[in-house]
Amino acid sequence: MRLTALDGEGVALHLGTRRYYSVSESGLDLLDALTAPKSLEELVAVLLSKYEVTLEQATASAREFIEHGVRTGVLVVEEVP
Amino acid sequence: MNPGIAVVCRDREVSRWLEQWLASTRLVPPVPLTLAVDVTGTLPVDDGDPRQPFCQPILEIRSGPPQGDVRIRWLQAPAWAAIASSGRTAEVHLTPEALADRDLVARSFLTTVLIFLLRRAGWHHVHGATARDPTGRGWLFAGNTQSGKSTTAALLASRGWAVGTDDVAFLVQDGGSVDVVAQRATIALRPEGAALLGLAGGTPVRGGQKTAFFPEELGGAWAERVTPQILVLPRVGGGDVTWAEPLRPREALAELVRWSGWVLLEPALAQEHLDLLNALARQVRSYRLTLGPDLFKHPDLFTELIP
Repeated sequence: MRLTALDGEGVALHLGTRRYYSVSESGLDLLDALTAPKSLEELVAVLLSKYEVTLEQATASAREFIEHGVRTGVLVVEEVP
Repeated sequence: MNPGIAVVCRDREVSRWLEQWLASTRLVPPVPLTLAVDVTGTLPVDDGDPRQPFCQPILEIRSGPPQGDVRIRWLQAPAWAAIASSGRTAEVHLTPEALADRDLVARSFLTTVLIFLLRRAGWHHVHGATARDPTGRGWLFAGNTQSGKSTTAALLASRGWAVGTDDVAFLVQDGGSVDVVAQRATIALRPEGAALLGLAGGTPVRGGQKTAFFPEELGGAWAERVTPQILVLPRVGGGDVTWAEPLRPREALAELVRWSGWVLLEPALAQEHLDLLNALARQVRSYRLTLGPDLFKHPDLFTELIP
C-alpha cells in the first residue's frame, strides 16, 4: 500500500490489486496504522485519539472501513486465537 | 545520438536506427541509461515468472516481488525486455518479426521500455499533452487517447503556443517545482480532428489513420519542458458548447493517478511517483474541460474559460 495526503484527504494505491482509492482523512489514519496488523479495538483507539467521536461512532466507522477494505481485497481479517 | 541514453547492439543497422530514434525523442535523462539490445530469432524462456501480468492491448508487463524487476512482453510480434529494479540498463530482445514495422515497435514496445527505464532516472510518465502559452504559463492536459488532447494541442499550436507533446510526458522534480518533460513527436490527428481545425497537409501516420504535424508546422513552437501552472482534464462532450469546471486539488490528484497508471507498478518506485503527482496537484489550478465544436470556431474561448 502507498499513501499520499492532500487537503486532509488522499489517495491510496494498493499495489497488490493494482487499484487506487480516494480515501477520507480518517481512512488515511487507519491505513497508516495498518502498516502493521491491528485489532478492531486498536483501530477504534486511533479514531478516538484524533477525532471527537463517541466509542460507538468510532467502532461503527472502523467496522465499515474494515468491511469495505475486505470487500475490495485491500484488507485481510484474521482471527487471533 | 542521444547524450543520455546509450545503445549497445551488435547489429549495426539496428543500432543506428535505435540511436536515431532515441535522438528524435529529445529525452535526455539526468543520469546515463542504456538500451542493451539483442536482435535474435528466439526470445529468452520466461515461463517461470509467477507474477500476474498487467495487461495492455498489445503488451504484458510483470513487476514487483519476488523478482523485483520489470519484464515487458510485446504481443504484436516477439519482443521482450527486462529492467532490474535498481538498474539503469534495459535488456531488450527484438526478433526480425518485431523489427518488420519499425514505427510500431518504437511507438508501442520501445516507448514502454523507455518509460520504465526513465523511472530509474526519476522521470515518471504521465499520459498527457504539454504546452506553454504566449504569457509563459505551463499547461498539462491529461487524459486518454480519445479525450481530445491532440486536437487541443494542435489548436493551441495554431494559435502560436509552444507545444511539447500530445501524448508522452514525464514528471520531473526540479528544485521546488514539478516540471513536465515532453517526448518530441508529432501531434497525430484523426481525420475529424484535422477537419475541425481546417488543416490540410501533414504526414500520414499509422497506416493513414492519422495525420501528423509538428507544432512548428501549425504556427507554434516546441516546448521541451514546462512547469505546469494549469492542469486540464479534457473530454469530448456530446453537445455544441465548450465548458470548464474547476477541480479541487484532491480531485486533481485522483485524476493524475488515473492518467499516470504506471504508478501502480514497481513498489520500489511507486511512492516517489505518487509524491510527484501529489506535488503537481498542489502546484496547479485544475479544470475539467468539456470540448465542443464552438471552441474551434472561437479559439479565444479557451483562455476565457480558463483565464
